[in-house]
Amino acid sequence: MSTLTAAAIEAEGLAKAFGRTRALDGLTLEVRRGEILGLIGPNGAGKSTFIKAIAGLVALDAGRVRVLGERPGRRVAGHIGYMTQSAALYEDLSVLENIGFFARVYGLSRVRAKARADELLALLRIQAKARQPVHELSGGQRQLANLACAMVHQPDLLLLDEPTVGIDPELRRELWREFAALRDAGVTVLVTTHVMDEADRCDRIAFLAEGRVLDVGTAAELRERAGAASVEEAFLRLRDGERS
Amino acid sequence: MGRAGALALRIVRAFRHDRRTLALVVIVPLVVMALIGYLVGDNKEPLKVGVLTSTAASPLGEALAGQPGIDVVVLQRDLRGAVKRGEVVGALLSGVYLTPAAGAGLSPMCTPGACLPVIVVSGEDVQVESAVVQAVARASAQVQGTAVAPGELPGVHVERLDLPSGSRPSTISFAAPAMVTTFAFLFTFMLTSVAFLRERSSGTLDRLLASPIAKWEILIGYLGGFLPFAAIQATLVLGYAIVVLHARVAGSLWLVVLVLLLLVIGVVNLGIALSFFARNELQVIQFIPLVLLPQVFLGGLFWPVQVLWRPLTWLSVLFPVTHAVHALRHVMLGGEGAGGIATDLGALLAFAAAMILLGVLVLRRQRA
Repeated sequence: MSTLTAAAIEAEGLAKAFGRTRALDGLTLEVRRGEILGLIGPNGAGKSTFIKAIAGLVALDAGRVRVLGERPGRRVAGHIGYMTQSAALYEDLSVLENIGFFARVYGLSRVRAKARADELLALLRIQAKARQPVHELSGGQRQLANLACAMVHQPDLLLLDEPTVGIDPELRRELWREFAALRDAGVTVLVTTHVMDEADRCDRIAFLAEGRVLDVGTAAELRERAGAASVEEAFLRLRDGERS
Repeated sequence: MGRAGALALRIVRAFRHDRRTLALVVIVPLVVMALIGYLVGDNKEPLKVGVLTSTAASPLGEALAGQPGIDVVVLQRDLRGAVKRGEVVGALLSGVYLTPAAGAGLSPMCTPGACLPVIVVSGEDVQVESAVVQAVARASAQVQGTAVAPGELPGVHVERLDLPSGSRPSTISFAAPAMVTTFAFLFTFMLTSVAFLRERSSGTLDRLLASPIAKWEILIGYLGGFLPFAAIQATLVLGYAIVVLHARVAGSLWLVVLVLLLLVIGVVNLGIALSFFARNELQVIQFIPLVLLPQVFLGGLFWPVQVLWRPLTWLSVLFPVTHAVHALRHVMLGGEGAGGIATDLGALLAFAAAMILLGVLVLRRQRA
């Protein structure tokens, strides 16, 4: 893996169609190392498809993507943490068993896996649920367990697909605090959301609509460029300008 | 009624949007009925019964040639060898039908008062044997000029090449290989296909594919996880058949295990591969009869493969169940060694290898 490239993700002209739907339509974006970049856009803007393309789960029709200096795939997979949109966990296994399993999949030793699981359970404050099967957990607890599985191997790049959906405001704030702590530790975080108030917590924001990036910048920059009072308004103005 | 009606309508609507399930609802019963209809019908291929030239010209030989479902093959010599090699399913040994009086002393099968035609079969296929016996008995009754009443056919002496002389396989001994094979296939396929479908629909497969795990590691992992359960089930079925039902195991039990192991390895991967073509549990469940029943019907479990229409026999050669049942019958009934079932073992090995390859290909295609 090349450590020389400054960008964690370089995407250029990505295109992907599912039947007649163009999920990605010439998406170009650079994500810097050690930043939280928020992908913001309505449903169907291509956020999840972009995340999947980075995770190597989508065969692109066109374009070029480099992740940590490599093409998406097994070589770089060990450095990426991928938190799926819905909690992709084994329902019949306990939280601890789920974390342990993904730790082993990412090549951690049994001892290291156990230690890491304990760390994460404490960090995300779900120790009390550790031995409970996932199907007994609430939506928010599932998301935390889901996040723990994505972070178990201490990835350099964390892909979070709508991590705060269905989570109460208090827990959401805690999660964002955790993302910031990870960023401070040098982890690159790419997070999708369609909750505009989360945008301010990102270092930079990329507005996505119809498979393309409308604009990228800090929340302040975006507001200023669009002459809008809020990120939400900035997005709507940009999108309407694009359409007209 | 309004609420129940809404529920009924909801189900019908869901089917309308789920084209694949709808197609399966129509296709599965048609395929199954077409197969059964064909198999219970009269238009099957005749069974080949070998006779020597002299026998062919005898009244019994001529009468046998006239029997429905029987094709008399005239051989120069070595009737037993022809049966052994599977060139004919049975052979009629006694050249001339002898009346009890005339036959006394001429044939070992002739005792004062009775003289029986002698047929040779492998002894591993009860259905074939019974069909040949019936045909010879009818022919023999014809020669004697007696009217043939069902259940009152004249006796026939049967020599079973693959069984100890004088022994006759019980129905359960004959059925056990088919039962063990069918259940091993069914249980393994159900478990793996549904489990893998859940892996895919829950998103955990995406998570695995985004990790450094290799495709072959996923397949090997699945095999390792399901093999113990498949083994438990196969052992229970086999053990019950042997211990409680007294099914015969003349050959090596290890060879039985090897056959089942190869079958199960293939079926685990078949389950994984086919689960990709199903969007939900409903569809996977419908794959079960579609995959299993043709193999059960055409694999020689109820009807001997020899009586099938030629193209269907080619199909049955492709089925793992055909080879597993054939091999298990030879091992369990005939006490055959590994050499005797080498072709079947090779076929099962090829099936397992092909299914692993299919699994890898299908996992690759999982990338959208």
